[in-house]
Amino acid sequence: MDRSIIHFNITDFAVAVERLCDSSLQRIPLIVASGEGVKARTLVFDMSEEAYQDGVRKGMRLSLARKYCRQARVIAPRPPLYRKAMTAIVKRVVPYTPLVEQGEEDGHLFLDVTGTHRLFGPAPDIAWRLRKEVQNDLGLDPVWSLASNKLVSKVASRMVRPFGEYIVGAGEEDTFLAPLPLSMLPGVTADEMHILEDFNVKWIGQLAQLSRKQLLVPFQRRGAYLYDASRGRDESGVCPGKIKNDRIVEEYIFEEDTGSYSEVRSALTRLVHEIGRVLRHKGIVGQRLGVCLSYGDGKKTCRSVSRKGGCDNDFILRNLALSVLDKAWGRRIRVRSCALICDRFLPRSQQQTLFVMQNRKELQQKKIITAMDMVNKQFGDGSIYLGTS
Amino acid sequence: MTNDKLCPVLIGTSGYSYTEWVDSGFYPQGTRTPGMLALYANVFPIVELNYTWYQMVRAEAISRMISKAPESFQFAAKLTRTLTHERDRNWQQELKLYREGIQPLRKQLAAILVQLPPDFDWSRKNRYYLAHLLDGLHGFPLAVEFRHISWSRDTVFAELEARRVTMVTVDAPSMPDLFPCLDIVTNPELFFVRFHGRNIQGWQSGNMQKKFDYSYSEEELNEWNQSHLTSLRRKAERGIVFFNNHVCAQAPENGRLLQTIIQKQIDG
Repeated sequence: MDRSIIHFNITDFAVAVERLCDSSLQRIPLIVASGEGVKARTLVFDMSEEAYQDGVRKGMRLSLARKYCRQARVIAPRPPLYRKAMTAIVKRVVPYTPLVEQGEEDGHLFLDVTGTHRLFGPAPDIAWRLRKEVQNDLGLDPVWSLASNKLVSKVASRMVRPFGEYIVGAGEEDTFLAPLPLSMLPGVTADEMHILEDFNVKWIGQLAQLSRKQLLVPFQRRGAYLYDASRGRDESGVCPGKIKNDRIVEEYIFEEDTGSYSEVRSALTRLVHEIGRVLRHKGIVGQRLGVCLSYGDGKKTCRSVSRKGGCDNDFILRNLALSVLDKAWGRRIRVRSCALICDRFLPRSQQQTLFVMQNRKELQQKKIITAMDMVNKQFGDGSIYLGTS
Repeated sequence: MTNDKLCPVLIGTSGYSYTEWVDSGFYPQGTRTPGMLALYANVFPIVELNYTWYQMVRAEAISRMISKAPESFQFAAKLTRTLTHERDRNWQQELKLYREGIQPLRKQLAAILVQLPPDFDWSRKNRYYLAHLLDGLHGFPLAVEFRHISWSRDTVFAELEARRVTMVTVDAPSMPDLFPCLDIVTNPELFFVRFHGRNIQGWQSGNMQKKFDYSYSEEELNEWNQSHLTSLRRKAERGIVFFNNHVCAQAPENGRLLQTIIQKQIDG
């Protein structure tokens, strides 16, 4: 059976929610900018369509955005408010399907309504009804699209925003994507775009003409993704409850943008301890650790590493984090902040290994970590943590 | 009764791409959405496109769809909801997009169905809007389906007749404010019938699966043929009939039944 995946996208979500709360913000160019505490480095978090038309973009320095759109009103983001709005939307969607995947306060939702036709009718009707409910009850006007997978429904939403809807019939995925520029294809990095441009490949249809073997040479493992994506193939499921709670994120923002590797390394070590403490407190282990570096120009580099079986040991986590940092470190731009992300959790096994004895070093590390946790518990978080040398 | 002057009728269903029609046996097991139109065209000569109500028609999508059906196959396309039910956007711009999008269908287009919402009554504002809308669609074969009873008046029929616009004859549950079932032909070139089913409770439920969950019996269709269809066929050059009771593939089942009834009538 062909899947029916609906994608809802509330354009400029933060702006839409702010305008709902304050009607005086309607119809004026609006910029939501984060980092007001350090004004010189304030970045654009979201902007209204009017500001977008004037050239304002997400991640842009506020000082530059103001030059592009002088009449814009600037407000600080309120993430709890956006989370509340997302929760309200999900509440309306859940009666139609339990398979709802939501983004992080960004107004994006995927719904898998495959097989619900006997209860609620054809998928386009469900999408239309839901949009109407969200519009009538919450005053938000989502773009919606319907396709047989997440990738194509996401592209279809991009085609019609800020208003509208798009239905891509099953079996029409490749013909739908073919005339679109490569920039419309989700997940294609800037570096990959440059390589493809060197091959004079500018359209998704041109990319789809390349074989797996041809893509393997310049893109290695990523070639398989590009091969499938360009043909509109995406087998990934709609993962319910995929929200921030499913991962632990710790971030460190530098006082001044830094180009010093050792400074970033030192910050990461502190973050490792925070992550390890949370893991141990929850009685879980993380199987994947990611490092995300945010640069002064608003761009980000994210890399991750997996560890089968997971761990909650600060020493091991630190080694993993530093190895990921090596992979992420490369741009000659100053780093504004670094984030450490841990996910793919498993419950911590209470059983000791039966035959393989833990070595002395591991036992020592365990004792140190337990002692550090006790100190932190008694004197407050961050009282003691691992050093870098 | 003589059958000499009865015009031909094309029978079809409102929409063809329903997954539950595979479950119900109209399409063979394992049929995927892309293969449905070709299978449908083996049974019916015409279909009413529902999805054009949900989203603006796009020429490239229409072209892809046409290629899957025989050249003799006919389509009726619903007007997009932004021109009928949700008229808050710039409707002139929407109309322009619709006219452009529907172009590839022109040769096989039996009619554009302007289905108006139940709250669209015979007010001055609505009359002006409908007049402008019909002007904007001039040149296309048009059919208007009213849902509000206030449109049931001679001046409306006369205006549609003057414009050669078909007024849709509907079979629906008998309800106070609902437009009645009238076999008035306002366009001698074409009559247009829609069978919505007679599920009163479902109609009031707001749930599409309940609203159109109804199966016409042979007696009901025979009676309808005698009381309305034969009369319509005498007044027009040709007619199209759609069954909208899509739930559990009752629409194609009823469509085939009506085809048999009409064939029997022809055979005498």
